[in-house]
Amino acid sequence: MTSPSSLKSAGPAAAPAAAGPPDRRAPRPPGLRARRRRENLAGYLFMSPWLCGFLLLTAGPMAVSLYLAFTDFNLFDSPKWIGLDNFSEMFGDARWRKSVEVTLLYVVLGTPLKLAAALGVALLLAQKRRGQAFYRAAFYAPSLVGASVSVAIVWKAIFSDDGPVDRAQRGLFGVDVGGWIGDPDWVLYSLVVLTVWQFGAPMVIFLAGLKQVPQELYEAAEVDGAGPWRRFWNITLPILSPVMFFNVLLETIHSFQIFASAYIVGGGAGGNACGPADGSLVYTCYLYVQGFENSRMGLASAMAWMLLLAVGLVTAVLFWSQRRWVHYEGGVGSR
Amino acid sequence: MATSRDVGRRSLLKAAGGSLAALGVAGTAAACGGSGSGSGGTVTIRYAWWGAEDRAKRINKSIALFEKKHPKIKVKTDFQPYLDFWKKFNTQASGGNAPDVFQNAIGFLRKYDARNVLLDLTAQAKAGELRTEGFRAGLEKFGEVDGKLLGVPVGSNSMALVIDKKVHDKAGISPELGWTWDDYYKSLRRIRDTQKTAGNGGMHGIMYLYDPYLRQQGKAFFTEKGLGFTESDLVEWWEEGLAGVKSGLFADPKKVNQIKPKSPTADGLAAGEFTWDNFAVRYTAEGDSAYDLAPIPTSDGKKTGQYLGSLMLSGYKRTQHPKEVATFIDFMVHDPEVARIMGYDRGVPATTAQYEAYEPDKDKDPVLKKVNTSIAAYEDSLVEAKVLGPITPHPEGADVVEAAFLRINEEMALGKRSVKDAVKQFFTESKTALGG
Repeated sequence: MTSPSSLKSAGPAAAPAAAGPPDRRAPRPPGLRARRRRENLAGYLFMSPWLCGFLLLTAGPMAVSLYLAFTDFNLFDSPKWIGLDNFSEMFGDARWRKSVEVTLLYVVLGTPLKLAAALGVALLLAQKRRGQAFYRAAFYAPSLVGASVSVAIVWKAIFSDDGPVDRAQRGLFGVDVGGWIGDPDWVLYSLVVLTVWQFGAPMVIFLAGLKQVPQELYEAAEVDGAGPWRRFWNITLPILSPVMFFNVLLETIHSFQIFASAYIVGGGAGGNACGPADGSLVYTCYLYVQGFENSRMGLASAMAWMLLLAVGLVTAVLFWSQRRWVHYEGGVGSR
Repeated sequence: MATSRDVGRRSLLKAAGGSLAALGVAGTAAACGGSGSGSGGTVTIRYAWWGAEDRAKRINKSIALFEKKHPKIKVKTDFQPYLDFWKKFNTQASGGNAPDVFQNAIGFLRKYDARNVLLDLTAQAKAGELRTEGFRAGLEKFGEVDGKLLGVPVGSNSMALVIDKKVHDKAGISPELGWTWDDYYKSLRRIRDTQKTAGNGGMHGIMYLYDPYLRQQGKAFFTEKGLGFTESDLVEWWEEGLAGVKSGLFADPKKVNQIKPKSPTADGLAAGEFTWDNFAVRYTAEGDSAYDLAPIPTSDGKKTGQYLGSLMLSGYKRTQHPKEVATFIDFMVHDPEVARIMGYDRGVPATTAQYEAYEPDKDKDPVLKKVNTSIAAYEDSLVEAKVLGPITPHPEGADVVEAAFLRINEEMALGKRSVKDAVKQFFTESKTALGG
């Protein structure tokens, strides 16, 4: 936005200068402005695939969804403005509160466990040894296939009644829960295990972060007699903390948005889309039920905006908290 | 340097513009391709239905026959499983792009009529494009709502008790029309005690079973506007269900949950379950025992509270080709050749012409021959015993209530809710779904 206006003002200002001693910039091509405009046009044209995509597929639908959040809309009749009724219905709905509970439990359990696994494996893989590339690829593989429907189906089979996990549980501990998938108290944990298993993406980022730690710090610490734990706690962690912050942020946001695995593991085929007795009724799953099964798009939009607000709030809190635990080299708060 | 760069960029831009334009043209062409009227006087109509591969094969065969007899009409098909079908349909219909003809069921007529989606076929029937006579058992009335003809029945079905014949024979139980709930519970106990298995896969969340049960007592699940029973009725029904789960008369709901979409009877978790009679063929396909149809138990030794349900064909209100839609529906409902292709896939054929055209005991497939013969015998026995009444009305929101009934019953059976709490939750959700 600023460049075209500054160009315009530069035009007349340059004119008197041309009257002085001749200089190299004097003969300005007459079509300069037109050409600039053409270049801008070209720029916008090149941007247009993204711009159209953004306006038509992101910004537009978001604006409409914000409007729908305050309406009663069943997909057929035109939306009816009902103010905040969707929100008050939401807060009064026991199933909605249950979905919030389930989602929070999933986020609070899944995210730290996943990051711990990612960091642990990254520390092991950061050491130079033979076959390093193979191990890295192998540990990353679950994340590649992790988001797919097929893995969720396999997961369902593994944790079902008489599946491998159920049999191992009975054999090793003598506990018979009759399969995690069918038990409202256990089904969510199978989803937590699934997300922990997909630690590849944060692991790769941790690995990159570990490479940034200056070796001389370790050498100096070693000379001073610091043990491995001390070195990890006082050197690795502080230097890794910006990377840690990034991972925490990303994984937390992802966790709030869990849908596909919950929808598939939790049911799909039966009368219940979200696990036995709503045991894995994650927020987006309930949103889907309200929107597409009960045809209540207004309520579903309100729920979506509520989720956005909640995720935004959590993100804000994380950003605020980083002052206390994230260490940026080159001074506090330099970024 | 500037010129060469400019030329490069200009030609690049041209190329980009050209390809964008091409994309645009292709896009509009693709978007327009879907909307029916083709060249040369032929008309394309879209037909969508729910079901699986087997139904798809039969329907495609029927359509090939239709296109041969009506060379000026082309039929494009689309199908999904039941739940996905309605999601897709809702989205299409809200965008004004629903299929011209689609499979429907009686429970959805009022709902979609209220949303202005269903074509009133009365005019087409009067113009002679669609015959409304020749239906069995008063089925022609099924598609009428407030004087409008919104659907045409293709077949009839009724609730039944599917039983594992081998287990029942070993336990020495042979159900007969007119047996009571006391008899039924006695048989469940005998199966549990002698055969060491549950007698039923769980029945207290099935709206279409609780409905006939209520009708035996002169009530019904729905009225025109709301629920036709009280909280204390449901407390009684679900307490009985919970006791049955605890004492092993009904299959463990946890296990039933994990074998979905397979049925507990086919899986061997239970020796029977209540379902629609035209589903009987799936048990033989999924399980490895022998299966049979048994009647619904009664309260007074006579009334089963049953009615015929029905799959239908409906037209889309905003279709460009109402005449062709009527022609197609007429063909699918009346043509005897279609009956021989479809068998009992859509229930027992609705018109006498189709009913007589397909004789199940002459089916070349031995499994279908057996299953369809027993379905025919079952529905004949219902008609003979005069137990069939008019179907319970389905108010708008009935489908949401049906899903809530199933889900909340499961929560209760799994021990996540007390019976009282479950009943309260169900009535709260029903009130919202049925509009207060």
